[in-house]
Amino acid sequence: MYFLGVDIGSSSSKAAIIDENKNILVRVARNIGTGTNGPTLVINQALEEVGITRDQINFTVATGYGRVTFTQADKQITEISCHGKGVAHLVPGAHTIIDIGGQDAKVIRLNDKGNVDNFLMNEKCAAGTGRFLEVMARILNCGLEDLSGLAKESTEEIEISNTCTVFAESEVISQLAQGTAKADVAQGANNSITSRVAGLARRIGITPVVVMTGGVAKNDAVVRCMEKQIGYDITVAPDPQTVGALGAALFALETFNKK
Amino acid sequence: MADIKSLIAEFEKVALNPAKSAAELKKETGKKLIGMFPYHLPEEIVYAAGMLPVGMWGGQTEIKLSNKYLQSFCCSMIKANFEMGMNKTYQKVLDGVVMAAYCDTLKCICEDWKVAVTDMPLIAMYYPQNRKIAAAIDYMGAEFKKAQEQLEAIAGKKVTEADLEAAWEVYEAYRAESRKFVKLVAKMPKTLNATVRHLVIKAAWFMDKKVYTEKLAALNAAIEAAPAEEFNGKKVLVEGIMVEPIALLDAFVENDVCIIGDDLSHQSRMFRIEGRKEGTVYEKMAYRIADAYADPLLLDEKKEHGKELIDMVKEYGADGVVVCAMKFCDPEEYDYPIFKEELEAANIPVLYMEIEQQMESVGQYKTRIQAFAETLA
Ligand code: SF4
Repeated sequence: MYFLGVDIGSSSSKAAIIDENKNILVRVARNIGTGTNGPTLVINQALEEVGITRDQINFTVATGYGRVTFTQADKQITEISCHGKGVAHLVPGAHTIIDIGGQDAKVIRLNDKGNVDNFLMNEKCAAGTGRFLEVMARILNCGLEDLSGLAKESTEEIEISNTCTVFAESEVISQLAQGTAKADVAQGANNSITSRVAGLARRIGITPVVVMTGGVAKNDAVVRCMEKQIGYDITVAPDPQTVGALGAALFALETFNKK
Repeated sequence: MADIKSLIAEFEKVALNPAKSAAELKKETGKKLIGMFPYHLPEEIVYAAGMLPVGMWGGQTEIKLSNKYLQSFCCSMIKANFEMGMNKTYQKVLDGVVMAAYCDTLKCICEDWKVAVTDMPLIAMYYPQNRKIAAAIDYMGAEFKKAQEQLEAIAGKKVTEADLEAAWEVYEAYRAESRKFVKLVAKMPKTLNATVRHLVIKAAWFMDKKVYTEKLAALNAAIEAAPAEEFNGKKVLVEGIMVEPIALLDAFVENDVCIIGDDLSHQSRMFRIEGRKEGTVYEKMAYRIADAYADPLLLDEKKEHGKELIDMVKEYGADGVVVCAMKFCDPEEYDYPIFKEELEAANIPVLYMEIEQQMESVGQYKTRIQAFAETLA
């Protein structure tokens, strides 16, 4: 039997397929989000990699920002619960999840049983989200994936004082014009985003094990920066971007079994 | 059921279009309307003077003019109220405004209004901080008297003790019927969903209270006679100043979350205190302020809001509390950290949402409400 989880974010789509024994058969992610053919593409890719067809899927759960408009799922569950589920499965003993996605950031607290018992989301602006890093990468004229390596070369701490992404953008442009090194700006951007999200984490209360998920967790420099901010070691969930999709697939199996 | 539906529809019609409802109220009754800006004001005196109090709880308006007086850190509700004073929306229906300086924002507004909105009489009131002592009752009486004289001037009529007694009775009946209604939600959580519940209660602000009470009594009786509804969703208590826009309430409904009880200024805080039986009408009105509890606008040295919320959660059988904090509301923000800790210590799940009245998109709030409901599962 096969169970599909689809996580439709604002800037990327992810899918995961598991079998009835919770074995993970595939996890895929693409950087195209809701309102596009992104969800269909990731689902097709996932099916292809497992070598099955759509009608062999026993139950589908959709999650993420685009879950409500996605009509092909049997059920929709929020990304909060799905991230909780996915992390509890991948990292036993996890109590705090820091998830930084494209358009939002959230901190989720898990109880000893691995169930969500509290969560906080950032308010609606782009500060403290992946979008902030995207904007920074664009100004620094590098790919998002190169930001981490660049930041590691930083020799001098600089501070980006504006919270607002739009203002921060012009602040950084003037810093670069004054000759600040690109590496220092990249590290400054990491500091900026992690300090916002660390604030959220402190509000909810941090209990180890702390796990990071979401695409931004692939940026090693951000993770190290976050560790410094919160004063705890951080485990990056394996394949962090698809943890929500995996959680959705696990819920699909659970819901199917309950029926 | 047809009875229930049609009665609800009447309330909904009034509450969904306050401006139109107020204009119609004025036309139909031929009475003057006085705006209540908005908390704990002497509505009974307005009523006794042969006029009708109308609620001023902001609304969906674009903030343009009021920015001249109000900083960006003023709450959205008061900004909207001030805007509608400045752009003359209120002047179309209101003959005067009563306001009291309950928070820092309102203190400034009392003064700003005198300068910015010169074409509508303003009755500014000041309530005591130490509201429970005997001197406070006397002082509030003096404030009521002053307000009464100004209201009499607008009405062109003297208010007698008998007028006051009659108005008091109308209001006590309205409050009793409203208390009954909020309890009956538990019987029909589907029909009286979050949005419907809100609109039924809100309609009171734009109707003659006597007429409203009669209709609400009919609705209450119809609910009592109807069979109880089965409900498998979650039940929450909401805390805050008010919960709007409507799209936000719809998000509760879409996720099968029933608002089983409230601790809102716009709702129960206005009617949950039963008046005392002895004393003059002024004294009884003052004691309603003195006896109020769990109200961030009224000083509570013992800081018992948390304890009172825990009691309410038990009383209503709620699964959790949703705090709808009006952004930049200082009295609410002072209370929250204290009661949050107490609720958590009592193992009561809390969802905190900072809201603004003129929110364009409620997408993220929908996710929060749904996720909260999932954690309660
Ligand atoms: S009490 Fe809060 S919501 Fe009400 S006017 Fe004052 S700041 Fe605004």
